[in-house]
Amino acid sequence: MSSSRQIAGRWLLNAALVVLGLLMFAPFYWMLLNAVLPERLAFKLPPIWWPQDLTLDHFGKVFELIPFGMFVVNSLKITAIVTVGVLVTSTLAAYAFARLQFPGRDVLFIVLLASLMVPGQVTVVPTFIVLRTLGLVDTHEAVYLPQLINVLGIFLLRQWFLTLPRELEDAARIDGAGHVGILRHVVVPLSGPPLAALAIFCSQQAWNDFFWPNIMLSSPEKMTLPVGLVYLQGQYGTGSPVVIFAAIAMVVVPVLILFLAAQRPITQSLALTGLRG
Amino acid sequence: MARPLGSTDQRLRPVHGGAPTAGRDRLTRRCRDALAAYAFISPAYVLFLVFLAGPLLGAIVLSLYSWQLLGSSEFIGLDNFRTLAQDDVALRSIGNTFAFTFWSVVLHIGLGLPLALAVNRAMPTILSYVLRASVFFPMLVSWAAVSLIWKYILDPNFGVINYYLERLGIAAPTFLVDPDWAMPALIVVDLWKTIGFTFIILLAGLQGIPSHLYDAARVDGASAVQRFWNVTLPMLSPTLFFATIITFIGAFQIFEPMFIMTGGGPKDSTLSIVMHIYETAFRRFEMGYASALALVVFVVIMIVTLVQLRIGRYWVHYE
Repeated sequence: MSSSRQIAGRWLLNAALVVLGLLMFAPFYWMLLNAVLPERLAFKLPPIWWPQDLTLDHFGKVFELIPFGMFVVNSLKITAIVTVGVLVTSTLAAYAFARLQFPGRDVLFIVLLASLMVPGQVTVVPTFIVLRTLGLVDTHEAVYLPQLINVLGIFLLRQWFLTLPRELEDAARIDGAGHVGILRHVVVPLSGPPLAALAIFCSQQAWNDFFWPNIMLSSPEKMTLPVGLVYLQGQYGTGSPVVIFAAIAMVVVPVLILFLAAQRPITQSLALTGLRG
Repeated sequence: MARPLGSTDQRLRPVHGGAPTAGRDRLTRRCRDALAAYAFISPAYVLFLVFLAGPLLGAIVLSLYSWQLLGSSEFIGLDNFRTLAQDDVALRSIGNTFAFTFWSVVLHIGLGLPLALAVNRAMPTILSYVLRASVFFPMLVSWAAVSLIWKYILDPNFGVINYYLERLGIAAPTFLVDPDWAMPALIVVDLWKTIGFTFIILLAGLQGIPSHLYDAARVDGASAVQRFWNVTLPMLSPTLFFATIITFIGAFQIFEPMFIMTGGGPKDSTLSIVMHIYETAFRRFEMGYASALALVVFVVIMIVTLVQLRIGRYWVHYE
């Protein structure tokens, strides 16, 4: 029943949104172009938006200039430890706060929640001093240990656990299951959505984190990908940026593939946990 | 877990028989539960004490000291805060951060809301998918990669932005080198990177508004504009409020684009508070003074959040 003017307006808006989508993606496309164009064509103005002549040479040069493979291994290792660690510490604590009676429970929980209001930068200097005293400067432990506590994760999981029917746990208890058994066989299998959300959120944070690893790590072979990228730019910034762009492309493309494969769970998880990176 | 749930008769039967032992069993079970609970919370709580609660107290203590990391330490009371009040660079960084945060919140909400409204209607599935993907994707890429890409895009020599602006006949400034233009450039880069988050939560908020409210408004003869002001806006206000606070907190702690793209320059025009804390602590190793700066950030975030909560009472509509 809509008039032709309304239809025209709708398609005009759709067209504007297409242009917006292209503009949002254009910086990545330009980065990818300059990673695969031969050096004489890269960074030319006007840009060659539809290239004929492609090369993969720059990717090899990245590995010659920096231990890129090590960066990948380090990032994978730290991300895996943080993600698994947060899931374990948060699940255990959340179960205790949601289901067990113990003296001091409410006070301990409120103290934990209050810390959500403290911005991370406040604790940076003392945390650095603690880790330095422990002799952990320039180690991976210094990067992941402070990230193993995730108060938001404990809170999210506790809220979810409170909604689970108690009858299932009672039944398991009568069958002789202890708390660990109840957690493993009843609570965790029923908590897929919040655990997945927390895992996606934590791995994304740990994988992309720059601020903290940049403070703690100084040896190139220990660096994570984000720190390594900036290190590469600092080392070879005066040379041709095609190599830097090849390195950036190797960081961005896997994320893009992962995102296209699982767009819905990823966006929903990050909206649920409610923090921007 | 195939056992039926209704096995209550078993639950009621005392496990070991007699009544006197049942009382003791309950006691020991409570004891066991409490012990299990402490065991369960201890990994998280030990980490919490070492890496969050302890350092927070540590920051308060440190802020009262003059402490060079590799040198001597001396108790100086509130001198760090007195110095801060006259430290032009620190005050500049606080002013820069407020300007950045103000524009960040205004632009994220001001552009995120129309975008969410434009997408929250009937449109081809493919268009909706592509749009959500392209708007949200920069969120997932590390600030390190994003800052490096934009550093080259905004480069006066081979940057594409300057090229196209000049083609359009606009005398483009040298964005990252001009003290008047560096901060606006970083505000736009941050907007590009993080508006996907605002967009997604506002879109989820819009989709959560029950359609019968719109039907009722239509029956009452409300125009599209009236429906927006009287249905959409009040129903969306909790989400808008949440998005505002999250954007504020995130923007106030901005660090990476300054650190990587401009180094806080030119002429300290993009020096943010967190960048200043970083330089004070890890370039000049003034740990006490850096802690005092960090506490100021904490207090400012607390005050602004409380004020927002207070103001929120007047415009946020909860069912």
